[in-house]
Amino acid sequence: MSGTRITRRDVLASGAAAAAGISLARYTGAGRAATFAKAPVSSVMIARAAGYTMDVYDTVYRMVAAHKLSIRGKKIVLKPNLVEFDAHTAINTHPVVVHAAYEAFRKLGAAEIRIAEGPGHRRATLDLADAAGYFETVPKFESAFTDLNLDNVAKREIPRPVSTLQSLYLPHTVLDCDLLVSLPKLKTHHWAGATLAMKNLFGLVPGGVYGWPKNVLHWAGIAESIVDLHHLFPRQFAIVDGIVGMEGNGPIQGTPKHAGVLVAGSDVAAVDATCCRIMGIDPKKIDYLTLARGEENLAASAFHQIGERIEAVQTSFELIDPWKGMIRAS
Amino acid sequence: MDWKSKQNSDGGWAYARGGSWTEPTAFVLMAQSVTGIDGPSFQAGLNFLGATQRRDGGWSPQPGVDESTWVTALAAFLPERTIGPERLRRALAWLKGQTGRESSLSYRLRQRIAGNRDEFPYGWPWFPGAAAWVIPTAFGILAFERAFAAGDHDRALRQRIADGREFLFARQCADGGWNHGSNQALGYPGDSYPETTGIALAALRRAPNSEQIARAKTAARRHLTTCRTAEGIAWLRMGLAAHGEHVQSAFQPVPRTTLDEALTALASAAHNPLLS
Repeated sequence: MSGTRITRRDVLASGAAAAAGISLARYTGAGRAATFAKAPVSSVMIARAAGYTMDVYDTVYRMVAAHKLSIRGKKIVLKPNLVEFDAHTAINTHPVVVHAAYEAFRKLGAAEIRIAEGPGHRRATLDLADAAGYFETVPKFESAFTDLNLDNVAKREIPRPVSTLQSLYLPHTVLDCDLLVSLPKLKTHHWAGATLAMKNLFGLVPGGVYGWPKNVLHWAGIAESIVDLHHLFPRQFAIVDGIVGMEGNGPIQGTPKHAGVLVAGSDVAAVDATCCRIMGIDPKKIDYLTLARGEENLAASAFHQIGERIEAVQTSFELIDPWKGMIRAS
Repeated sequence: MDWKSKQNSDGGWAYARGGSWTEPTAFVLMAQSVTGIDGPSFQAGLNFLGATQRRDGGWSPQPGVDESTWVTALAAFLPERTIGPERLRRALAWLKGQTGRESSLSYRLRQRIAGNRDEFPYGWPWFPGAAAWVIPTAFGILAFERAFAAGDHDRALRQRIADGREFLFARQCADGGWNHGSNQALGYPGDSYPETTGIALAALRRAPNSEQIARAKTAARRHLTTCRTAEGIAWLRMGLAAHGEHVQSAFQPVPRTTLDEALTALASAAHNPLLS
């Protein structure tokens, strides 16, 4: 790893972060030494999208259709990233992207589509969605939406956990779906380096059970918990809203960054790795990606890129100081 | 207010729809005490809480969850004559045993070894084994103050109230209010939220007047001019009322959930059981 390494000691000495059980230190546990079989080549599609216009509907439809998913008659859950009350920054997944995904899956024959989210800090989820423009953009939004923080839950054991968690209570809405579609924003993240389709799964964990924030995940290891959640949902698809992302002190206080892309695929770790490259971040230095796939399976050559080339859309995202030397692609 | 039409057959209330949860059930019972008690509905709600208290004395967020959590403070906040003295005693005992993980001896020792000299005041976590945060700590303080006022003068109770206040003051944001409890991340100051600012102010109603309280009240007034959520407005009004300021919001919010309706009813009450 290049640059200044932040050690567990540094983080433990950083007061509030330590008290919240949050660590920036890169994972050094048993999972690091795990060996990974060569992963099958996954397809990741990159499409240009200049703005949140009607063109997004056609682009998202083409991206979903290109992956030839089994959708007809299936229950689909669309999981955007709703974080804060602010329609004018790039914190939340833009409602046009969510509605475009809703329409794409409807046209492709889905039997039921729910939009579902459980924000990590704010409890008034419907108000948050309203402030983010969802009511205005998605017709009958309230009847299509489930607040995952307050949904009925069931306990699920985690097979071969990477984190210290053994089980999690999870909402029925996501446990019962046939395909979970992660719709994150393309953002840097002050604790995880980058927040994309896999990190977006934190929003599945019910605040009504674990609280706001879902701090048990921090104590169990942020990267490790992301990987455990990822393994609990084997049928996923991701569409990343990178039209306007966030750089700097993400996921809330960063600066909007126009990247002009949408990125999609069934292998969400591959999608995230591609998004990292678009942001100028080395995916092999993002702990949850290496834990999920192994460094060798994160090489650019491990993925089949469809649509735009990474180099054609790459735009370097600013990183806050602690991450600058740690994760920037050389 | 028609609380009964939203009541589940097990006697509890959902946040909006679906199964019963402890938090909305406790708040609807408190709200009934100000909007008018519907005897059978109220008793059914109490029966739900009676049936769901766990063997360890605590309550889980909903019956399907096999772990007592912060919601125990809400059940413990109900008057002793309704919840019953033995149930209340067991609930308070459970709450006394709960602190943020950062307060544990082993954790503090690790911090010292790592060179961190910070002190971590005792608060309450949302979920056992996690760190303390603003909302569960605020409700822990309120529940213990209620018990103290009712005659339980246990020294440990008084100490936890003082520790809880210290925790809240330590987590106050630079803008004077509170967010979930992270007033700084990697050196960047965090912004406060309306609802947590109101809840923390309510919990600090018996704390000595100070410059920190004055800044918090200023932050609450500021949030009240822009807040659009029923939850946020209700808590801001209750937080300021706890310090003698009875205010209205110029904005009439849409209550999205049963909990919103209960909080709005409590905030509008002349005699709020949360603040009595």
